[in-house]
Amino acid sequence: MSVVTLQLGQCGNQVGQELYDVICSDAQDAQRRTTHTTVSCERFFHQNKHGDLVARAVLIDMEPKVIKQSMKKAADSGRWRYGDDSHFSQKQGSGNNWANGFCVHGPRHIEVVEELVRREVERCDRLAGFMTMMSVAGGTGSGVGTYVTQSLRDAYSKSFILNHLTWPYGTGEVIVQNYNSVLTLAHLYQLSDAILVHENDTVHRICSQLLNIKHISFSDVNRVIAHQLGSVLQPALTADSHGVYSRNPLGELVSSLACHPEYKLLSVCTIPQMPSSSIAYSTFSWPGLLKHLRQMLISNSKMEDGIDWQMRPPSASERTRSLTGASFNTSLANLLILRGKDVYSAEAGGFEDPALYTSWLSPETAFTRWNSPVPFNKYEKSATLVSNSQALLKPLDNMVRKAWNMFASRAYIHQYIRFGISEEDFLDSFTSVEQVISSYTQLCN
Amino acid sequence: MQRRKASVNVEVKQVIGTLCRLLTATGLDAVPTPETFRRAKFGGGLEVEGQFWQLLTNILQRTGVISFEAGGQPRGDSEHRKAVAAGLRQTGCHADWTYGRQTGEEEEGKSFSGRDLLLALGWLLATGTLEALLTQRVQQLDKLLLTPLPVVSLVSSELQFDSSSLRRLQWLVGCLRHQRRILLSMLEERTRKLHTICSASLSPTASSSSNQSSTALKEDCDRLRQLCDLLEAYLNWKPVENVFWTWMDSVMDCHQTPSFAKESLHTPSVCQHNSQRPEKCEDMLMRLPTAQTCRVRLQGKGPVRDHSYTAENFQGSVEPSDILPASQASQLLLQTEALLLQKRDRLRLENRLRLQEVIGELEGLVLIPP
Repeated sequence: MSVVTLQLGQCGNQVGQELYDVICSDAQDAQRRTTHTTVSCERFFHQNKHGDLVARAVLIDMEPKVIKQSMKKAADSGRWRYGDDSHFSQKQGSGNNWANGFCVHGPRHIEVVEELVRREVERCDRLAGFMTMMSVAGGTGSGVGTYVTQSLRDAYSKSFILNHLTWPYGTGEVIVQNYNSVLTLAHLYQLSDAILVHENDTVHRICSQLLNIKHISFSDVNRVIAHQLGSVLQPALTADSHGVYSRNPLGELVSSLACHPEYKLLSVCTIPQMPSSSIAYSTFSWPGLLKHLRQMLISNSKMEDGIDWQMRPPSASERTRSLTGASFNTSLANLLILRGKDVYSAEAGGFEDPALYTSWLSPETAFTRWNSPVPFNKYEKSATLVSNSQALLKPLDNMVRKAWNMFASRAYIHQYIRFGISEEDFLDSFTSVEQVISSYTQLCN
Repeated sequence: MQRRKASVNVEVKQVIGTLCRLLTATGLDAVPTPETFRRAKFGGGLEVEGQFWQLLTNILQRTGVISFEAGGQPRGDSEHRKAVAAGLRQTGCHADWTYGRQTGEEEEGKSFSGRDLLLALGWLLATGTLEALLTQRVQQLDKLLLTPLPVVSLVSSELQFDSSSLRRLQWLVGCLRHQRRILLSMLEERTRKLHTICSASLSPTASSSSNQSSTALKEDCDRLRQLCDLLEAYLNWKPVENVFWTWMDSVMDCHQTPSFAKESLHTPSVCQHNSQRPEKCEDMLMRLPTAQTCRVRLQGKGPVRDHSYTAENFQGSVEPSDILPASQASQLLLQTEALLLQKRDRLRLENRLRLQEVIGELEGLVLIPP
């Protein structure tokens, strides 16, 4: 079962390349059991007539530079490559304008893109679904990405679509990033099955504090994102897979985390993360890792450093009083993925505590666990938690607030109206995102 | 009787042939020929009996009603037949000969004819064994078949319209929709694989080119052919099934006709229940008011006791006209059942109402229905 990836815009194409690199090097790691490698390769690659592994990916950008770089990096790795003609680029970018991407570039080039996607899909024995990778700040990733997602939804109504979004730094990379983010999220919420989010701010902190990187580049940030994504997407044994590696990674991910149409935002945290030079000198125990991970979940810290150990699940009486426990991160659903040595001995009972979850979903439904005895990306043991929780509430709220402040003074609105997005469309998008915020806020009631 | 006799013709032989092909396709070995079926109707001989014993054994073993020890071979013929008789009793076939001990061990092997075994086979087929065998075989052959998993329903029977129930419901609906999509994509994959197999089997040059994959493909192809044959056999059987059952009626009639009774003078009838049973049953029925009317109606056709054709009946004392044909009797019983069910439902409703009244009087007590 295979996943077709669509890499959109600069960010999408860079993160996508890192992801394939992590997956390929992990799958081809020496002394591996063959099934794991086979399943992983079938999931993300096909073989061309020379026997090379070719990523099941379509690369889309309005500028050719990044695509060329990504393809070159892949080819240089010597382990895998992109398909020679599975990319599409233009000479002129979208100018960080969502409306330009969504209303102009998207419709103009959709036929070519659809054809590229169709070819990739036909190469799959069985299509597990699509994963689109993009940022929400710029114009191509967010605007064209949203348009392409819409066309995927129409053409492959039965397939699962997971959108991976990179949220920009709060301090701002692009002046209109909050507009672009709101418009993207509002539209994707209707189209996508689940939206997996990485915040640049969080990943940046991981790079500086956990990986001790002095001068952090986008490449470093992307590698962390790729590591976390890889640990979610590599083959694992799930409850429904009856002792063989799950064949429907996206379907099972979505079914366990995002069944409710109002709750589709997923966040990820992984433990441990450390400089590769230190891995060899470290030992980890499952109880230690899971204890940290649980506290990271409830105190909403994405890193094992600086966890608030005082945070406790609210008792039943506190919960009814509500709002006092505002900083406690209530979950709707959690998926715990454990990889590595002695994985079956790991006791994950701490995640089945009803106090962690919203009152209307039982912990048995809300908590899912996947295992894989094969270690991931050189870590002897690693645990990843994909969580549908209030974790993204704060950054989302900030994003909308900033966008709304700008919108109140009609700043840059004419740039969007120029390409066919009206103020009404903006208001609709604000309403949808506010609804998402409200739904997640009510989770702790 | 005329109608039945008329239907026993060449067509029957073909229909039985269809059944035999279907039984073979379900994976049973040593299915008797249509000719053996015909001979069994008229008692047959030891050879015919042997074949039917074998068939019944296979069927009961396959459906898991009986099982022999790891060695596979029973200790002896009589042990073997006892196991089969016990298996038949488990399936609800209470013919007298299945109570070997009561009818006398020394008579075993002689106390019945091939016809009894044929009727027992008829019983098994009529009670859904054929479908069970079919399902089992389809599951064996069809590796991609989805067996429904038990789904734990979290919605209580009491509908509540508060917001958390609504949200839980929305989650469950979403979950179902995802499951549906997963199933659809599995179907798609299966179709694609079938297509590959079919196209591979059509072009022999293509299949010979790749050795490894072609063996797997050939196996798959072989299995699919068997599956198709099985389903086709079942489809052929279904429309002509009635002819077979009419013929089985005539087999029943052979049991009841005195001329055949002579042949099996010491043969208790196949639908004979244990001699005490009719009395018990009668007692039970007597206590039920609705059943009494049924009883009266049964008596109108002939005494109820006569309905259980005991061996003595066949010794000439009872006229064949007193015997109620099985089809009518079953119809009567069905009617009675319907009446009793109606009665039961009415009583249940009354009880429920009464219970609700009682509950209404108890203040401060909350009863949660299961």
